[in-house]
Amino acid sequence: MFQQKGHQDPFVHVGSVTAPDAHMALAYAKECFFRRREGRDLWVVKRSHVHHLGDPSMLDQITDKSYRYPEAYRGVVGKREAAKAKVAAMTGAGPAPRSAASTAGDEYE
Amino acid sequence: MTYEENETAFKARIDAGDKIETNDWMPDEYRMAVLKFIEMHANSEIMGALPEREWIPRAPSLRRKMSLTAKVQDEVGHAQLLYRVAEDLGKSRDSMFEDLINGRTKFHNVFHYPTAHWGDVAIIGWLIDGAALVTQRALLDCSYAPYTRVMKRICSEEQLHLRHGEDITLELANGTDKQRWMFQDGLNRWWEPIMHFFGPPSNPAKDVLLKWNIKSKSNEELRTEFLDHYVPRILDLGFTLPDEGLHFDEGTGHWVAGEIDWATFWEVVKGRGPSTEIRLSMRRKVWDHHRWVREALSEPAWNAA
Amino acid sequence: MNSQSVSELKEEQRTSLRSVLLGIADDELIMGHRHSEWTGWAPHIEEDIAFSSIAQDEIGHANLYYQLIAELDQTSVDMIALGRTAGQYTNAVICERPNRDWAFTLARHFLYEVAERIRLESFRSSSFKPLADASAKLLNEERYHEMHADAWLRRLASGPVEGRTQLETAIGDALGESAGLFEPYQLESEALGSGFLPSSSMELLHVWLEEVCSRIEDAGLPFNISPAPIGEVVPTASGALMGDASSDESVPAAKPAIQRKDGLWIIEGPLPGSGGRLGQHSAEFQDLWDDLTRTYREEPQATW
Repeated sequence: MFQQKGHQDPFVHVGSVTAPDAHMALAYAKECFFRRREGRDLWVVKRSHVHHLGDPSMLDQITDKSYRYPEAYRGVVGKREAAKAKVAAMTGAGPAPRSAASTAGDEYE
Repeated sequence: MTYEENETAFKARIDAGDKIETNDWMPDEYRMAVLKFIEMHANSEIMGALPEREWIPRAPSLRRKMSLTAKVQDEVGHAQLLYRVAEDLGKSRDSMFEDLINGRTKFHNVFHYPTAHWGDVAIIGWLIDGAALVTQRALLDCSYAPYTRVMKRICSEEQLHLRHGEDITLELANGTDKQRWMFQDGLNRWWEPIMHFFGPPSNPAKDVLLKWNIKSKSNEELRTEFLDHYVPRILDLGFTLPDEGLHFDEGTGHWVAGEIDWATFWEVVKGRGPSTEIRLSMRRKVWDHHRWVREALSEPAWNAA
Repeated sequence: MNSQSVSELKEEQRTSLRSVLLGIADDELIMGHRHSEWTGWAPHIEEDIAFSSIAQDEIGHANLYYQLIAELDQTSVDMIALGRTAGQYTNAVICERPNRDWAFTLARHFLYEVAERIRLESFRSSSFKPLADASAKLLNEERYHEMHADAWLRRLASGPVEGRTQLETAIGDALGESAGLFEPYQLESEALGSGFLPSSSMELLHVWLEEVCSRIEDAGLPFNISPAPIGEVVPTASGALMGDASSDESVPAAKPAIQRKDGLWIIEGPLPGSGGRLGQHSAEFQDLWDDLTRTYREEPQATW
């Protein structure tokens, strides 16, 4: 039994019920898991249709996969300052004009 | 209820900011518009993988080779998410793919262009992904809920791509003369396609996407948002932009692009871009040659939720 | 033995260790490079994503081995991975072959993954501890690769006739040359003597052959082995190997004699697909190398 809280949320497994068919399962699930209106929709899926990966160590990242995460690019802030300094030293130019919204800065500093 | 009554009630839901789910009743015009929009987005993700992937084999370090592969993999992942959403609107993935490779449906203009060197990887990763993120963020509020759910994930991955792209850019900016040349040369070729990317001026009265709140911002608004964010950052790195009319308007406080030539844009999106035919014909070749793969994978279907 | 105590090694031992590490690292890099060429083109979108991860994993494995070499040589990973001439790469020829199509890619993937696992299991008892440790780690990632290869093998073998035929032909095309994954490393006897290599390449070849051939049989597929270029491998007095290039022009293709004899699978005659460990590659490798090293060569001193 899977439930979804809001429109933008994924369906998440919240429990299971014993029932003879999908219609009955929905009827039970609604009252077992949804009687306080925990979300906006629910699904039931037959347990025998659920296949699982089993061994969780299959998910381990053995070699360096840091490039898949934003933290790997923390260095951009420093590199950006270095590049600006290099250009300022080369040309003597100050920073280009910015709109009010844009002066708020870069989103990932 | 008659069709018209249903439609009126539906429009009222949209105007009230309500979100639409796959199994809700929807007018044909809405279904077609959402489907076409998401299908084109999905097409653009899968076609967008091609220019960048040309540089996986030629990446300058093992680290970049892995991270660029991972980045292109994410784009293919976006196509997967989007085609699934589009499929639920009533068009099979196979027919979407066949329409794409036979030139019957469109994809974004920027993916019709060739790449020349590693500088293009920086441009695509920072500026084209940056442009895409500006438009995609505006879609988080789209009226079609299944689309906004995948857009949430897509936007967060695009945020990572932007850092990846800026990181590559900054290594070039901080690098040797040749490396700086690479970025500038890429900029000279890509700037016009990027201006085109946001599309020609919108006509709110006629725009069916605005009417159904599939899109909520006009093309100009999005282009200005992009210019405001990126132009000063590019200039601060000591690069120049190939647009003599580009200027900062002190009055409005916004960056304004010079005159944009839309004739080229229309040629390109109609499938007559410099790399359109070569890329589509390669896709047709892979598609035709691997019919047996689709056959082997089609029984039984495993379209998990 | 750890990386530090390497400095106490005799020159020849050191060179033999380096040649083992370079052989496996180059196999992984070149295999990952070929796999990554599918990213964006695979014939099924979900598969594109899955196979791209496998490509990244293989390049990641190469990266790990190159780090060990970089420590031995006091150099950088990229200088080894991307800064060598084509003749200095020691990957097996099968790895560099173009992807051709999905059937050939899968067949090679299956044959390669079994070889990689057998090799890693053997390296776990290497006397060079960094290699033993790395191998134990990588075996974990291998399980996913084999799960993936196996799922395809089963599905195609028991699926519609065209896919099954494609797979049969592709396995026949790749099987002979894949034996070259077990071409002895340069100075292999030295590496065996020092315990860097716990088992000889020939011993592992037989373990591999036994497993892949029985699995092909278990899947109910026939053996239609295609001709493969033969490289003749002759040990010299120094332990180095002299070999004929398995380049397409110089060596005639012959059908490898892979057969079952007295209940065991064997290859009779010279080792198919060899030459790679000596830096002798197919003409197709030149194109791969041009791509692989292209941007690096433009500005070798630069950071990217």
